[in-house]
Amino acid sequence: MTVPDIDSILHECFLAVGQAVGTERVFDFEAVVWWRTRYRRAFLEAIGRGNSWTRDRQRVTAVGRFLGQRAVHHAGGGPINVRAAALASLDVEAACRMNAVREGLRPEPCTSGACLAF
Amino acid sequence: MHPREAARAHPPKGMESCDWVAAVNTAELDRRFEDSLEFEHAVDYILDDCFFTVGQMVGMRTTVDYDAVVWWRDHFRAKFLAAMLRQGNRWIQDRQNVAAVGWMLAERAVRYAADAQAPSINIDAARKAAVDVERYCQLHAKRRVSALKNGSSDGALPVIAGYWCTPVG
Repeated sequence: MTVPDIDSILHECFLAVGQAVGTERVFDFEAVVWWRTRYRRAFLEAIGRGNSWTRDRQRVTAVGRFLGQRAVHHAGGGPINVRAAALASLDVEAACRMNAVREGLRPEPCTSGACLAF
Repeated sequence: MHPREAARAHPPKGMESCDWVAAVNTAELDRRFEDSLEFEHAVDYILDDCFFTVGQMVGMRTTVDYDAVVWWRDHFRAKFLAAMLRQGNRWIQDRQNVAAVGWMLAERAVRYAADAQAPSINIDAARKAAVDVERYCQLHAKRRVSALKNGSSDGALPVIAGYWCTPVG
């Protein structure tokens, strides 16, 4: 997969996160930067291990919406900042690890690309 | 006189004037090249920010096809880059206004998909929404230019049109 494809995947994931966040919340640009930096590397690694976007797209965007929901939760009444984004990532990646265990994959950290989503 | 023009007009002692102009031009080209590399990197973060905003407005009403995402990305990446090369990276100042236009883009796309009874925002709806947004931005830019001519602006207004409707090339 080429680098522009990775960027399109990230754009689509951000769109999914935004869908779950809705219009009631504002979010800091720093949170976007934090997420992008974290997941670009993770996605590249996952794709390098043979994961396919066509096959995993629905699942990954669903996890993106989950990430958005958790970020809203952690932000309380305030804007979604880096702290809320990082806490949401911890939640999502923990769920991701559980999913990997359920599906018989090794419970490696999510950023290693072992989990199917994120 | 602009400092760069002044620098060109006064070569250092021992250097021919034409060599000096060439040196200044090379430095300028180098600076622009460095800027363009920096913008190439920054524009993807900005696009993520915009896609987040579009997603906020689309909400759970519908989904967006991958082809439509790619089309929007290709279309607006070139425009955003052109705007940044012209104005520099003003994202933090312009972010709110650009996001408002992103909301409009999403709303128009949702509407076009609904009108066509499409199950999701497809490439056709994405394209039509982009046309609407660019038309709006061009009108806004014309009004702004007119306001500037009438002296009713301080010239430091955030640039709204610059990102969405900047001609490319």
